[in-house]
Amino acid sequence: MIEFLFALSIGTLFGIGVFQLLRRDLVKAAIGFAILFSAINLFFVAAGAFEGEFAPYVSNVEAGRQTSDPLIQALILTAIVVSFGSFSLVLGFVNIISRRYDTVDSNDINKLKH
Amino acid sequence: MEQNYFLLGALVTPLIGAIVALVFAYSNRLQRSIAVLAGLIAWVFCIALLAQVHDSGVQTYALGNWNPPYGIVLVADALGSLFAFMVTTIMIGGLLYTYHSHDKCMTYPAFIPLFLLMEVGLIGAMLTGDLFTLFVFMELMVLASVSLTAISDDQYGLEAALKYILISSMGTLFLLLGIGALYATFGTLNMAEIARSLLTGVRPFLAPASAIMLLCAFLLKSAVFPFHFWQPDFHTTAPTPVSAMLSSIVVKVGVYGIIRLVTLLFIEEAPLLERWLSTLGIIGILFGSLGALRTYNAKRMLAYSTFAQIGFILVGIGWGTPLALIGAIVYAFNHAFIKSSLLMLMGVVASFTTTKTANFADISGLGSKLPSLLGWLVLIGGLSLAGIPPLNGFISKLTLIQGGVDRADWANLIIMVAAGILTVMYMVRAWQRIFQQNPLPGAVDTKDEGDSLFAPLLLIVVCLLLGTVLAEPMIQLISETVRQLGDAQIYISAVNLPPPA
Repeated sequence: MIEFLFALSIGTLFGIGVFQLLRRDLVKAAIGFAILFSAINLFFVAAGAFEGEFAPYVSNVEAGRQTSDPLIQALILTAIVVSFGSFSLVLGFVNIISRRYDTVDSNDINKLKH
Repeated sequence: MEQNYFLLGALVTPLIGAIVALVFAYSNRLQRSIAVLAGLIAWVFCIALLAQVHDSGVQTYALGNWNPPYGIVLVADALGSLFAFMVTTIMIGGLLYTYHSHDKCMTYPAFIPLFLLMEVGLIGAMLTGDLFTLFVFMELMVLASVSLTAISDDQYGLEAALKYILISSMGTLFLLLGIGALYATFGTLNMAEIARSLLTGVRPFLAPASAIMLLCAFLLKSAVFPFHFWQPDFHTTAPTPVSAMLSSIVVKVGVYGIIRLVTLLFIEEAPLLERWLSTLGIIGILFGSLGALRTYNAKRMLAYSTFAQIGFILVGIGWGTPLALIGAIVYAFNHAFIKSSLLMLMGVVASFTTTKTANFADISGLGSKLPSLLGWLVLIGGLSLAGIPPLNGFISKLTLIQGGVDRADWANLIIMVAAGILTVMYMVRAWQRIFQQNPLPGAVDTKDEGDSLFAPLLLIVVCLLLGTVLAEPMIQLISETVRQLGDAQIYISAVNLPPPA
């Protein structure tokens, strides 16, 4: 059951994220960017979180029972750092663009179009 | 397990250079010298690595002495070391151009560290043996190049940077999904171990899906149709040395990844991927060449031309035979040198105008006021890009077309040769407009002094040397590379994995 709910929420987050990323408003697009990355992080959690029952390295594991996968947590931590960096960069760009173009509507930010 | 410290050195030198350059942020001159020094040291490391790989096979370095598959392992096989050598060589050209350039954005204290971080990302992506590290290095490269474009002297750089980072994040997403799917299936991210599991003939449900997702991510990094639309804007508005790097070596990361996919990871899915690569490559060749013909800006013309040239490489990979793969790698190698030097030359032309523009309407007829060497270099570079016989572009086109004849794929060959003629047309026309015409009325004012010609001259000389005089040893080296790629076991056994459970 929990797997199904997890899959459902990841799918929903993906849908919302893609929809937001395609909005004309750049701030909303940036938020969509963040949502998409949370969806990815949850996807990584789903890839390994439900295997074990104990925290790795610190628990005394009885024979025949499993610890959870520590690598997944390292991966998610790295992915969070990377996505946080990109997200702040995007927000910074949107901030400067909104001042330079006086709008955050991506239809009006078209100086490159000839 | 044998630890090769050259691998670590090639990766860490530019990183240390970036940090040291940040410390010396108060002196721009010093920063630039540090950058050139770091680039040179990384280059020496890469040459040593190339020689070692050639002499004694695949080299590895397990980070922190954690043995694979638990730790991250750096692997330099023939392909990786060759591409890393190409990257560092061209990066020296870019750093030397920066050293002599007068652009305002290069005086910002963050420029040099970001430029070096881009190099770290590039070298790392080519030398890592771990899929997740590949993602981290590619993201480092993207973030560095996006920031560099956003601070460009061109006022539209920011718009192009925002466009690219949004699109690139979608690509990153697919890359992460593919990596996650592989991890969920195999429980490892070590490329050699995944390849070993896939070689045993096990076909997990998610393998073709993750192959397609990884392919899409790499295609996006290489700006291949249908993921190409950001590329002309992004490559045109970037500062000159950055755009030279973007259009030559950054797009090669995608090519490198695709070669890895079809020769190491997804050998069984390769025919499916290759069919797509040929089709997308041909579309790129056609539309890139036609786009380059009718564009209004010299740098933009070269960006469209990159779109077409990547198409040539992809068709070569798509043919899938060893001969065609040799052609594709030779082509990638030559294209990187020629395109970076041509973009730098156009940057030099633009630097002689007061508004730093490369629009044909403004720079037509500028040639009489420029150094005469510049005109000759543009002509040589253009003809070489088009593949006119004595120059190095001819060698790469010849090897590629040999691969096509071998496959008897006549329809694609005709399109490729026709696109070669289009290349001559747009390059020669651009040369004529800049160096042969009289200035148009209302042309922009020129300055007496522009950027130095030293870096593009150096790159053209190196590539002519490598591509003509040393063509035979180079092609032998690449044939050896392709022979090694043909046997995935060489890579897998070099990583020293524990026996399968």
